[in-house]
Amino acid sequence: MPTRLRASNLPSTVFPCSSIRPQSIPQPARISREFSQSSCRQITQRRRKFYEWMNGPGRMLKDPLPHSTNYLGAYDKFGNLIRGTFQPKDAKDATPKAEAAEGVEGVEAKPDTSSEGQESADDLDAAVSRSEREEMQKKEDGTEEGRLVPETLEDLRPFPLNRYFRSQPVLSEELREAIYQFVKRDGHSLQLASTTFGVSNERIGAVVRLKQMEKEWIAKGKILAIPYAKAVLDMLPTTPHVKERGKRAITHEPINDLIVHPATRQQLFVPVAESRHFTRVDAGKAFDNNLLPADERIPHPELIAAEKDNIDGYSVSERQRRAQERLEAEMAEKNKKKEEKRQAELASTKTVPQRRWDFVFQDVSVDSVGRNGRDPKGVGWRYGLPHQDRKKGQVKIPTKVEA
Amino acid sequence: MRKKPRFHSLKKLKVRQDWSRWTLYSLAHQRPPNVTGRTYFQQKWTAKSNTRAYHGEQIREKKWKRLFSRNLPAVVPMDFNYLAHHDGSEQAAGRGAGADSAEKLNRPPPMTPYMQMTYYPIERRLDTAIFRSLFASSVRQARQFCVHGLVKVNGKKMPYPGYMLNPGDMFQVEPSSVMFATGAPKKRTSTARKVAKEKAAARAEAREKAPQPSAPSQPEPVPTREEPTPAELKKHMQDLMEDVENVLNEDVGAKDKQKFRAFRQTVKKAVSLWKTASPETVSTLDAQFEFLKDALDKKQAAAEPSRNEPTESTALMSPEDQQKLRQAFDKLKLETEHTSAWNKKDASAPYATPWRPRDYMSAFAFIPRYLEVNQSICAAVYLRHPVARPGLAEVPTPFHLETGQLAFNWYLRRR
Repeated sequence: MPTRLRASNLPSTVFPCSSIRPQSIPQPARISREFSQSSCRQITQRRRKFYEWMNGPGRMLKDPLPHSTNYLGAYDKFGNLIRGTFQPKDAKDATPKAEAAEGVEGVEAKPDTSSEGQESADDLDAAVSRSEREEMQKKEDGTEEGRLVPETLEDLRPFPLNRYFRSQPVLSEELREAIYQFVKRDGHSLQLASTTFGVSNERIGAVVRLKQMEKEWIAKGKILAIPYAKAVLDMLPTTPHVKERGKRAITHEPINDLIVHPATRQQLFVPVAESRHFTRVDAGKAFDNNLLPADERIPHPELIAAEKDNIDGYSVSERQRRAQERLEAEMAEKNKKKEEKRQAELASTKTVPQRRWDFVFQDVSVDSVGRNGRDPKGVGWRYGLPHQDRKKGQVKIPTKVEA
Repeated sequence: MRKKPRFHSLKKLKVRQDWSRWTLYSLAHQRPPNVTGRTYFQQKWTAKSNTRAYHGEQIREKKWKRLFSRNLPAVVPMDFNYLAHHDGSEQAAGRGAGADSAEKLNRPPPMTPYMQMTYYPIERRLDTAIFRSLFASSVRQARQFCVHGLVKVNGKKMPYPGYMLNPGDMFQVEPSSVMFATGAPKKRTSTARKVAKEKAAARAEAREKAPQPSAPSQPEPVPTREEPTPAELKKHMQDLMEDVENVLNEDVGAKDKQKFRAFRQTVKKAVSLWKTASPETVSTLDAQFEFLKDALDKKQAAAEPSRNEPTESTALMSPEDQQKLRQAFDKLKLETEHTSAWNKKDASAPYATPWRPRDYMSAFAFIPRYLEVNQSICAAVYLRHPVARPGLAEVPTPFHLETGQLAFNWYLRRR
């Protein structure tokens, strides 16, 4: 567009007030569009705010805090660490107050009973952070000065809006090693490891499997990602390993989780005679005929049996003997089932050994295709039923990988 | 054609599954959903649009709709003490609501946030699980890792990012890629450029000079005997002890790794002499040491009564030798750890060296409980499906409970 007014010809009075004056912030010419030569001269308000936030309140999140987590939930609107602001000189006075505010009854106060009780996950995490705090106090008494107060549950929220999610502790490196040695070197069962360390059954298995692999890598001389591992474990809350012999391990997670059965999602009104002794088993029957009571569905029913022995007043040695007997019976049952399954498999297949490969014949039934002929257990191609796998949208991703 | 909207837009703040500063900014500026003055449909639409921008944004809507399930999994932690002391009948005692007791005054259990679990099927996907175990800085990057063949599930390459993990599946990502994804990005320097050029030149030279591919070396004959002959055993033991001496003389962190490598080789050979040792059973250093010791002891015990030559049998492995062997194994372990931990400047690495976590990583660093991760080998196990429990939902979602509920209701339509 040709300019009608040349700036040089104009008297200075043309721009009397500042609002009419051209407002362009001097900056290196950036190109507004790929195809265009004109430069974009504006910094939008949004962009300015973004950088303001990034350089202001968001600055603290750029680098990890040493020996601590660093989540958004731990900061206020102005980017101040909440637990840092009223950090008292002597953390000893602050700790009990914080605990009282949380309203958590001591897991510590009755360590013998409730370490495996696990009423709520909150209590567990509080116990972990409390133990960390204690450790910290010990260290503070000694040498370290500049360390932060350990975080409360509020500080572990990466998403400030979601009150129902927080970063939960992971197993520390020493604890993983201890679990591995407990299972592999000392040869204890997974169940015992689970109750001893307060870690769920599946996690114990996974830890052993991963540790085994790590050791294999070391034996092979493969390079591990140790700088990464150190940095990540420093950023995460961890469950420490209690090394003292007499002390109980800090419970990492609830180990007796009962899965909510779909049949129990509805409310039921079952009229029952007042005189009737209506137990959990009956309640389960009312929901579903095949629903077992909670005592049999939790991962550690042996703890209940042991506690019942305790109630019945058996001596310690007697209790141990009974527990051992139960364990053996259970193992025998399991082995028997496994053996039966193996035998059934052997009976149903016939192997004809050849020079390079064996021919294996398996019994199949035509009826296994089901009534509509589409059951995945069905074998072979059936007349009139085309394969679906060339159709659009048919998923061919494997559904499982054998370990 | 309509321009594709920006992935990170400041105009419409969307939380994405990555560790970028834009995501951090939008997390900090999130507000609870505005429910006043908007129709229910509008509320649901906004909730769906916002949550889908975060959860499985790389999946098409139709695919997600088929994944969606209205049955949300949950667990209740049980107290075994309570189960042992009560059989449940005490809840039915009294006037319908259970007998009055002091225990009833306890605070009620916290609410189970089912509505934050809407997107739990997506957490089963391989790409999402890789992102959740902190092996990639975004889901898109995790997806790329899968497609590029850097991910293994149960030891087998899995190129499908949409693979649904089963409980107990172990997945591992190439450690160098993980370090690249989570490390600070590299700044191009003149040294790096020079190194790259030199490398390219060397490669070109090697290609020109490349000789005809030689015949593949003969595979070692598989040992068919149950036990090695004494003479063979003795020779192997001598080799082994020589290597032990070499290793013990070498410093940890020495530049020349040849001696360590040679020792590893001889150990492997010594172990493979016995048929009872399969590579699966004798894979760790401790297992190798124990195996060698046991095997030699057994051999010795067998040899002694028959021949009664103590000089001959002690020559196999004396206690001092055993001690030395143990030390050598320890040194081997230290050496590997040292090499791995040695975070030195390296112009050829694709990330800034020495390695350090990328900016803003710590704000996003959490590992949900349904995963068990071993960071040093960059492997993780998918333990179980994510569940809701009283007061806690395991699906990491940045949205308000109400938003989750609205999104869940959106997908309930026609179901």
